[in-house]
Amino acid sequence: MEDLSNLYNAIIHGKLKTAKSLTEQAINKGVDPQELITNFLIPAMDEVGRRFECNDYFVPELLISARAMKGALEIINPILAERGTKPLGSVIIGTVKGDLHDIGKNLVASMLEGAGLEITDLGVDVRPEKFVETAKEKKPTFVALSALLTTTMPSMKTTIEALKEAGIRNNVKVIIGGAPVTQKFADEIGADGYSDSASGAVALVRKFINQ
Amino acid sequence: MNSRERFRKALNHEQPDRPPIDLGATWVSGISASTYAKFRQALELPTHPPRIHEPYQLLGDVDEDVRNIIGVDVIGLWTPSTIFGFRINKGWKPWTMPDGTRVMVPIDFQTTIDDDGYTLIYPQGDRTAQPSGRMPKDGYFFDAIVRQEPLDENTLDPGDWLDSFTFFSDDDLAFIEKEATRIYEETEYGMVMNFGQGGLGDVAFVPGQNLISPKGLRDPNLWYEYLLTHTNYIRNIYELQTETTIVNMELLLQAVGDKLDVIIISGTDFGTQKAPMVSPDLFRTLWKPFYKQMNDWVHSKTNWKTFYHTDGAVMPLMDDFVDMGVDILNPVQCSAAGMDAESIKKKYGDKLVFWGGGVDTQNTLPFGAPEDVCMEVAQRMRVFSEGGGFVFSTIHNIQANTPVDNLIAMYETVLGRPLQ
Repeated sequence: MEDLSNLYNAIIHGKLKTAKSLTEQAINKGVDPQELITNFLIPAMDEVGRRFECNDYFVPELLISARAMKGALEIINPILAERGTKPLGSVIIGTVKGDLHDIGKNLVASMLEGAGLEITDLGVDVRPEKFVETAKEKKPTFVALSALLTTTMPSMKTTIEALKEAGIRNNVKVIIGGAPVTQKFADEIGADGYSDSASGAVALVRKFINQ
Repeated sequence: MNSRERFRKALNHEQPDRPPIDLGATWVSGISASTYAKFRQALELPTHPPRIHEPYQLLGDVDEDVRNIIGVDVIGLWTPSTIFGFRINKGWKPWTMPDGTRVMVPIDFQTTIDDDGYTLIYPQGDRTAQPSGRMPKDGYFFDAIVRQEPLDENTLDPGDWLDSFTFFSDDDLAFIEKEATRIYEETEYGMVMNFGQGGLGDVAFVPGQNLISPKGLRDPNLWYEYLLTHTNYIRNIYELQTETTIVNMELLLQAVGDKLDVIIISGTDFGTQKAPMVSPDLFRTLWKPFYKQMNDWVHSKTNWKTFYHTDGAVMPLMDDFVDMGVDILNPVQCSAAGMDAESIKKKYGDKLVFWGGGVDTQNTLPFGAPEDVCMEVAQRMRVFSEGGGFVFSTIHNIQANTPVDNLIAMYETVLGRPLQ
């Protein structure tokens, strides 16, 4: 196997061009794309998450590492899709109805993608019906809801209720987060999990996947 | 002791008879017009459509009768132009918020509703331009529409940002001077200038909502990346902004002199709930030298105090804030990591004035019971009041859907008596 520690380093240091060219080179040399993800991309994003968690990395570092990781995945994913490789799990993510804020939601989506999950990002101001419709179509492992505003937190509850009414609540794990959101609120509205950070969200989904 | 004396004592770290109170003096210590209308009703005051001259967050202008009842001690001085580039000195018209609250807005507050029910608002009131803000169907305030032209990373020009850094016009200065004189001579309130032009890299303003066609980097998500990938480009923008800020402060000084007590320099947020947004090292190299330049100018030329607003967990930056000449910190988000009232007052109470910290607006005030509000407010009053250096306000603006009973409980606790 090639020494691809440079790919790992490129992602940790947010070097998009390097990450892309190393990924291309590796694939041209016949390295298994799944191994690139398992042995380099995921460990690199885990390290980025660890540094973020202990205040060694901050929002800009996280964003540029995620950008480099996505650059590599753009090359890898089509190959895996062709092969029909199944991801570790899948996530539908969005900022709930009435809320247009997405920096936090984007960070979480990137970290989950970096952990090997397939992401469907529905964007901002996502109606409960849209979550339901997409969940029926994609059959995800997780539905991840974000809210920045105290006035839009109730939309998390109505989204969970909509999933119940559609009869698919028990098919997915609902995880929530956002500045005013707390574990207590998550418990009150019957969410399965809560995280107060993007790296915490990775730990949370892994906990469920390993159950 | 009148309000101005009380306010000035607190700013000078002397013990006033009670902490001065702020509601609505700044764009970060106000109240949603929707809640304000209900608050007036609860206080049994004559109802009238609240006036909104902060059209982004749709904050209600606090009226004199409310100020008197809740004991407000400071009022805001504003520039006549708004975040959407239209002016507030051309007259007012009625408008209805999505929740049905009837309000008064500036004449050039021009909106349309799109097919998805979004309310769109236009820069400079120009409906032929692309809208620069939008509010969801059931929303309570606007968010920026990011109008990012394709960027060529090889030909980035900080000069693209010059449209955002303009000098005060004669009309601006005449408006400000007249209002400052009125506040100073006809009232006994302290005065804070809603300036904020030194807010380097404030992502709330990066999209250029006031411009017909903003140029350069305007996407907040990309902005955070460029801090690391194109640091010099950002630094050059900050340099231009600092130059303009200082010229405008000179003009402001000529207009208002020492009638003014406090100037809001920056509203850039540096904290998330858990940690600073950017590394302390990056803050020290990219922001601090410019902020120091602005603060040094204020301290050498005026008697104003410098006011900085930043949300979140900023404890690792506090020594830098002191070092670069911040006098007043707002909103003191006690719920963020490491920001609890006791620690922050103990460590920095003699160096910084805390303007805020009164009660949590993410949790206690909107979702707690009145007793929860009383307990939290009483605790904050006890911790922050000692030795002055405290202006009571909620931690950021009072949001829509906040129970008015909680507001009454809050002010009764602060004043130690029922509201009359």
